[in-house]
Amino acid sequence: MKTSLIVLGLLAGLALATTVSAQSAEEVAQALSRQSLRPYWHVFIAYALAWLLVMGWVVSIARRLGRLERDQDL
Amino acid sequence: MTGKLRGTALAAGILGVGLVLVVHWLVFFWVSTERSMGVVQRIFYIHVPSAWVAFFAFGIVAVCSVVYLWLEDERVDAAAVSAAEGGMLFTTIVLVTGPFWGKIAWGAWWVWEPRLTLTLLLWFIYLGYFLVRRSTENPQKGKKFAAVVGVVGVLDIPLIHLSVAWFRSQHPGAVVLKPEGPTLDPGMLTTLFTGLGAFTLLFLSLFMYRYGLERLTHARAVGRTPAGQEPQPQGVAS
Repeated sequence: MKTSLIVLGLLAGLALATTVSAQSAEEVAQALSRQSLRPYWHVFIAYALAWLLVMGWVVSIARRLGRLERDQDL
Repeated sequence: MTGKLRGTALAAGILGVGLVLVVHWLVFFWVSTERSMGVVQRIFYIHVPSAWVAFFAFGIVAVCSVVYLWLEDERVDAAAVSAAEGGMLFTTIVLVTGPFWGKIAWGAWWVWEPRLTLTLLLWFIYLGYFLVRRSTENPQKGKKFAAVVGVVGVLDIPLIHLSVAWFRSQHPGAVVLKPEGPTLDPGMLTTLFTGLGAFTLLFLSLFMYRYGLERLTHARAVGRTPAGQEPQPQGVAS
């Protein structure tokens, strides 16, 4: 009887340990999936597009201003 | 473009670009990553300053439009149209950067919720500003119609700001302009304020250049040089 209880206790402990390790493995997997490169790409594209738009305005103003000042100098 | 205006614009531009470099260092190497949203939250440091500059620009448009309707001074109209162009650009940046954040945070590129919808409406209002301006054969009439749009359009800005409090909104609420003070992490707040300064300086620099361009265009249209510049000898007309 005593031996059976010890075996049952050991089995229950083993099952608990397996569940806990499975849960932690799942958490690690979830954490790793959260660390995908996709958010980094989104940040990169957002910043790149913003600066492209600003540069577009800079070039547009510079070209129009340059053309007018050249015409004025003639 | 007068030498003084060009000098001020250049100084603001150099300072603005310098601060922009500092902001990028702060964003990518210094500020801590936000716990719930992760790295994508770093879009915040370009998204929010762009929104601030857009609102500031449309504020200039509204004030100048009121003055133009009252005094019909071409200089304030030049300032209004220059600010409106900048406001359009920075609103476009807000509308372009937001979805890249939203796709990760909400799982959708676009959600028809109050703040996003009202910001899109703001973009269309100022698109209307330019369309109305060019819609009449009489330029003076077009400028007056546009000034009315510029004044009415600014009313959308408080609605955008308060929409997160008034309606059920998916967009994050205010973290800086709150009655009880900012609830943002001090490092994030430093990065945000540096970004606000950088974007404001950059906008002011480009605004001054754009204003100089508008004054030159107007002077050429009426066949004289703008105030503060020596008249150029009459040469080849282009």
